[in-house]
Amino acid sequence: MQLLSGDARRAVFAPLDDGALRSEAVVRRVGSAIALGLLGDGEQLPTETDLATMLRVSTVTLREALAELRKLGLVETRRGRGGGSFARAREDVLGELADARLAELGTTDLRELGDVHGALAAAAARLAASRASRTEIARLRDIVDRLAEAGTVTGQRRTDGRWYVELAACAQSVRLTMQEMDLHLELGQLPWPPAHAPGLLDVIVAGHRAVVDAIEDRDAARARALAEAHIETRTLWAIELRLQRLGGAGAVVAQRDVS
Amino acid sequence: MSRPGAGELARVGAAVTGVVERVFATVARVHDAALRSVEREGLLAGRAVLPTAVRELLHEPGQLAVGLGLVVAPRPAEGLPLRLEWWQVDTERGDLRTLEPDLRPSSLGYYDYTATEWFDVPRRTGQRHVVGPFVDVHGTGRYVLTLTAPVVAGGQFVGVAGADVPVRRFETHLLEALGSLPAPFVLLNDEERVVLSTAPRFLVGSLLPPDTGTPGEGTPVAGAPWRLLMVRDGHRLAG
Repeated sequence: MQLLSGDARRAVFAPLDDGALRSEAVVRRVGSAIALGLLGDGEQLPTETDLATMLRVSTVTLREALAELRKLGLVETRRGRGGGSFARAREDVLGELADARLAELGTTDLRELGDVHGALAAAAARLAASRASRTEIARLRDIVDRLAEAGTVTGQRRTDGRWYVELAACAQSVRLTMQEMDLHLELGQLPWPPAHAPGLLDVIVAGHRAVVDAIEDRDAARARALAEAHIETRTLWAIELRLQRLGGAGAVVAQRDVS
Repeated sequence: MSRPGAGELARVGAAVTGVVERVFATVARVHDAALRSVEREGLLAGRAVLPTAVRELLHEPGQLAVGLGLVVAPRPAEGLPLRLEWWQVDTERGDLRTLEPDLRPSSLGYYDYTATEWFDVPRRTGQRHVVGPFVDVHGTGRYVLTLTAPVVAGGQFVGVAGADVPVRRFETHLLEALGSLPAPFVLLNDEERVVLSTAPRFLVGSLLPPDTGTPGEGTPVAGAPWRLLMVRDGHRLAG
């Protein structure tokens, strides 16, 4: 098959980092690619050999991962002519996968992800304030409007991802854009907070709008501070969600943030 | 620092125009091939408009473009979807590949090209256009200048023929062509964005700071919506 060549696709099929539990890493990567719409429902995956080469894992590891994905219902394999492995977008399964991933991570891992994302987004926002053209600012606003109207969890998640990728592109930086894309494949493996507390979507939309306002005012320091503060808030949401899983005091906190 | 004479500015402007026209000559060949094909066989879903030989333009000696092709205007009523016929050269290995961006609106990686300036401006104005520098996010992923021209057959907008020039290649080529540099100047596009700069303070891709000169000041460049502006900048390496 012809592989799509967009930046996001490059990230989906980029080699996995060395480390243990590689088949689980493949499962997570494919899961987040489906959650972000980078692999569409019913879309054919590359052949086992191609996929193993791209992800730089052994075919044994890859088969293990595909078996797990089939068990989860995220991949369907058909034999014979026109056969192959196909992605299935199952929102319920993706939700369970995200919860399972969250349970594996420590609060420090969530802080680390937030630290990197905060650094990236704050730098992009600061640079965009002196580099984004009027057309680009209008595009950012359009994405935020669409985020506010997105009705599904996947729709919200994807539009939020587009916001951050576009912000990095407004900074005129290919490298920041690529890094943001890579990071979203990791963030896409985690629960989407508004799925647990719908009011949080308003907080996200307001946060993004404030950043665009600062960019339009050409106020680099404000754009940077707002982008950073917003991601700090989101890091706290993720940590609270994680602690809720322990059935602890965090259980009601997400609600408090909404009001 | 001496202020450059009109002669020096004219020399820079002529060099820039030369580069732009060279790339537009390639775009014109893509345009003509597309038009011939559409006039002969119409626009059909699933059938390529451009003959594959067009991609060999990328291998021509002195070619500045690293990508070129036709981007088709979708016609949902006629069952014609979003479609690109675009080739790219791998600048390191020299081989050609087709660009296959993600054209599904439900994806984070959706390449929404009908909303881009390089597509929309030629569609609206019927004129050729130069866009950039910009990060071609979700498309080639490169930092490029994109030059496009509308393809119109039988009074109907078919799409745009175009070519991508990486910003780095544009800069390297022009700075070499200019030889000895005149006093610091910046080349600005129609959004006041720096396209090329010989003053470190003015970074390529940044917008001209509001305190620098007056809007519209400078020397227009023929062939592109650009202008040249002389600027002042200090020396940092002197210590």
